[in-house]
Amino acid sequence: MRCKQTGLIFFPAFDWAISPTHPEREERLLYTRDQIFEEGIIDLPQIAEFTPQLASIHDIARTHFCVPQVESQTTEAHLIAAGAAITLADQIVAGLIDNGFALVRPPGHHAMRVVHGNRGFCNINNEAVMVEYLRSRHGLKRVAIIDTDVHHGDGTQDIFWHDPDVLFISFHQDGRTLYPGTGFIYELGGPCAYARTINIPLPPGTTDDSLLYIVDNLILPVLEEFRPDFIVNSAGQDNHYTDPLGSMRITAQGYARLTEKLRPDLAVLEGGYAIETALPYVNMAIILALAGLDYSNVREPDFWPGRFKETSQRTEQLKRLVDGLLKHWKNRDTTLTGRGKTVNGYYEREKLIFYDTDYIEEHQTEKLRICSNCTGYLSIESEVSHGFGQAGKVLCLSVPFGACSKCRNEAADLYTGAKKSVVYNYIYLQDKSSDYLLGYDTKAGKEWRP
Amino acid sequence: MYIGVDVGGTYTDAVLLEKNQIKASAKAPSGKNLLSSILEAIDKVLQGVDPGRLKRIVFSTTMITNLIAERKYDPVALLLIPGPGLSYTYYQFNTFTRILTGTIDYRGRETVSLKEREVEAALDEIADQGFKKVCVIGKFSPRNTSHEKRLAMLVKEKYPDWEVELGHLAGGQLNFPRRVVTTYLTAATRESFHHFLNLVRQSLAERQITAEALILKADGGTLPMENSDKIPVETIFSGPAASTLGALALTSPGETAVIADIGGTTTDLALILNGQPLLSAKGARIEGQLTQVRTLAVKSVPIGGDSVLERMGNEIIIHGKRMGPAYCMGGPVPTPTDALRVLGLTTLGDQNRAAEAMAILGERNGSRVIAEKILNLVVDGISSQINKMFQEWELEPAYRVWEILQKRKVRPSTVVGVGGGANGLVDRIAEKLGCRSIIPPYAAVANAVGAAVAKTTLQLSLRADTERGSYLLQEEGFEGKIDSKQFNEKQALDILRERLIRMAARHGLDVKPEQLEVTHQEVFNMVRDWQTKGRLIDITVQTPRGITGRIEAGGQEG
Ligand SMILES: [Zn+2]
Ligand SMILES: [Zn+2]
Repeated sequence: MRCKQTGLIFFPAFDWAISPTHPEREERLLYTRDQIFEEGIIDLPQIAEFTPQLASIHDIARTHFCVPQVESQTTEAHLIAAGAAITLADQIVAGLIDNGFALVRPPGHHAMRVVHGNRGFCNINNEAVMVEYLRSRHGLKRVAIIDTDVHHGDGTQDIFWHDPDVLFISFHQDGRTLYPGTGFIYELGGPCAYARTINIPLPPGTTDDSLLYIVDNLILPVLEEFRPDFIVNSAGQDNHYTDPLGSMRITAQGYARLTEKLRPDLAVLEGGYAIETALPYVNMAIILALAGLDYSNVREPDFWPGRFKETSQRTEQLKRLVDGLLKHWKNRDTTLTGRGKTVNGYYEREKLIFYDTDYIEEHQTEKLRICSNCTGYLSIESEVSHGFGQAGKVLCLSVPFGACSKCRNEAADLYTGAKKSVVYNYIYLQDKSSDYLLGYDTKAGKEWRP
Repeated sequence: MYIGVDVGGTYTDAVLLEKNQIKASAKAPSGKNLLSSILEAIDKVLQGVDPGRLKRIVFSTTMITNLIAERKYDPVALLLIPGPGLSYTYYQFNTFTRILTGTIDYRGRETVSLKEREVEAALDEIADQGFKKVCVIGKFSPRNTSHEKRLAMLVKEKYPDWEVELGHLAGGQLNFPRRVVTTYLTAATRESFHHFLNLVRQSLAERQITAEALILKADGGTLPMENSDKIPVETIFSGPAASTLGALALTSPGETAVIADIGGTTTDLALILNGQPLLSAKGARIEGQLTQVRTLAVKSVPIGGDSVLERMGNEIIIHGKRMGPAYCMGGPVPTPTDALRVLGLTTLGDQNRAAEAMAILGERNGSRVIAEKILNLVVDGISSQINKMFQEWELEPAYRVWEILQKRKVRPSTVVGVGGGANGLVDRIAEKLGCRSIIPPYAAVANAVGAAVAKTTLQLSLRADTERGSYLLQEEGFEGKIDSKQFNEKQALDILRERLIRMAARHGLDVKPEQLEVTHQEVFNMVRDWQTKGRLIDITVQTPRGITGRIEAGGQEG
């Protein structure tokens, strides 16, 4: 029998850019392609290259509420990037490949549940779309997403905030020093999913050693206890010491060791904008590490061993941070608080969301039904006040996987009732438990099924 | 008048074409003395024809393929400059190899220079081992040829009689391990190929043939003989290319077809997409080694007319080997040909022995039943591989949005059968695929026909880096300066067109600028800190591909 391989989808979208000079442009994966092709690693028996399918509109609408419709927030490039993650995930779940790496653009981890435009270079959350696909189509129960991008994966966090079956762990440069300004240790998930969101903010200048300390002492023990069916790595490469946006000091070797320890089923490329000095080397190192190949000879031209050293003071700080987070994790089933209030069995919180690329300000009121039989349905009232996004209010109703009939019915009733109201421009029902999706345009009086 | 000669392992075939009609064809056994086989085949088709009327004569040969398969090539040492990246433990080239310091990056910038003292030591070692041929191959050498050129100079200074082969000339695509193998095989087979060319020259001289002589390449193009000794490995696989072109010459233009060359032990499949033979996305695989040799996409299925059949329980299985001719022709074991004989689909061999073969497989009374079963097995095996080949083509990775969107489901409308086993099988395969079938009247010499109609094709690639202020012409190994930051695709195309037309003229090819085809074009703006700092331009231009003409029905079989 043939040994199992690492699946690779390389989709550099050489004809897609946010704008000609934007960091997220055609050139971004060009040198990565050159490096990977020249090394000939696609020819190695341990690597299998795949061609991406397009994600369907339904796949996107299962995860996101795109305003007004999925088609208006996505281009084909988005469907291909999300579709690439799905293509590899299908292969992995079917046992045809060992693991995979979707080396794709555009990225996705800043895209939240409700989408009015582009945030942090993202419209569609590739990993979240893929995870919800796997749960819906293949019945996967527990998924872990480890976000190793230098920016906080606030979009992914938002989508799985109330979901106890999806563990989201993100380490990133401290939000006080970098976009999007979130991802603090006290952000620990909703009332029914406490400590299923874990954030590890790191000071600028963090090195390989510290990162691997976190993996060994926090991420791996937590994964061990969570026992996920599937591990996703949101593989941002902007922790690299040459990245123009981040200020960390991670090397290609550091990324390889990180990958080797995490052993993700599927890695999906996120950010990383040192397109010449980092990406060719980091991508190469990650591919080799996933495939179990020797990566010791991969190094940046200006790197020498021992170039970056951690101070003992920083190491101490890090230890305290890890210990504190582990305590939250230990108490995950006995803690039922979230930041927000619970009134009459509904947990409520307000959110302000800014879309940096499209200059949109969004205000959300999020309401979760606290239910003893399921994780409760969620209703989101979203209003956009500025910018180029469509003005006005929308109502989004999301029913989780495994919802009880009471929650399903209540959400469906709310949807039907709202269709008669004049408050909302659009109303959406997203029932993940039955994979039933609806959208309604109140002005036109038109309903559709994405 | 054209002549096509296919010098195969067992037979040397020749055809004579005049105005797209086959005037004569011949077969001569390829004995120990190649010269006499070639002469015999040429003499047969030239009977009563004045050699002065010949315009061109094209040769295809599997000689180099066989040399490589039998490892009968010259010893070659390798000098590699891989720099950082994949661990060297994965480089297993099975010959004396030394790794040298030095690094060129993806943009062609030198990041680590050569160490000449280290080079000298390596050369001494190679000399001690008795090598006289050495290959010099660097990672990213097609982006900057200076390390390879410098090393070649050092070799020549110290050992003027050694032959040095350069990686960027033998393998100009991005793939270092394949470049190593391609360069290695080029060096290893050069002398034998030279010898073959001399034999051909000699035979032409002996028959006073002064027509233009050309050699067929694996991608279905031809090269004039005097230029072809530079690139012996490109002639490997010219066998399948010849049969594909031969079949193409017998189909209508613009058609999507499968060509099934059904031989004794294998069936070679090739695709014609909208009238153009499909090129393999990557280079050829030669004896398990991956190269950069541009080749037609050919899939070899281990099923042929002489494949060994065996009964296992209630099932019949086809083995991927041959133990001799079919049982009905005096062979030792039952074969698909025996089944065809029982069903009356071929007239080869002895009817009674064919029935006996079926009996060996366990069916005493109804030999037709088992023959039908075998036929289905063979037809299913081959047609499922044809479908797979189309699927694989559809699934070939694409790196642009439009490429992924434009791939449509394409299926063949015609199956062209060539080769000894085509009769009786191709109709069934076509039926299974919902296609019509063609067995060209000259199927037995299709390779020679293919060689005769092959066109000379040349290509030239340019890569410009306006920030570095230079461009490289890959096939010529020429590096030029760019003075203006405004250098653009149009200027690049102008350079390419002019130089390719000059190159074509040197090859005796009369091409107009408007006939040149751009096969690859890639332009990237290099943006640093929100400002465009330069442009990367990659363009490949080639002379028209394909065949000189289609064969009209109505000639005579020789
Ligand atoms: Zn990032
Ligand atoms: Zn419920």
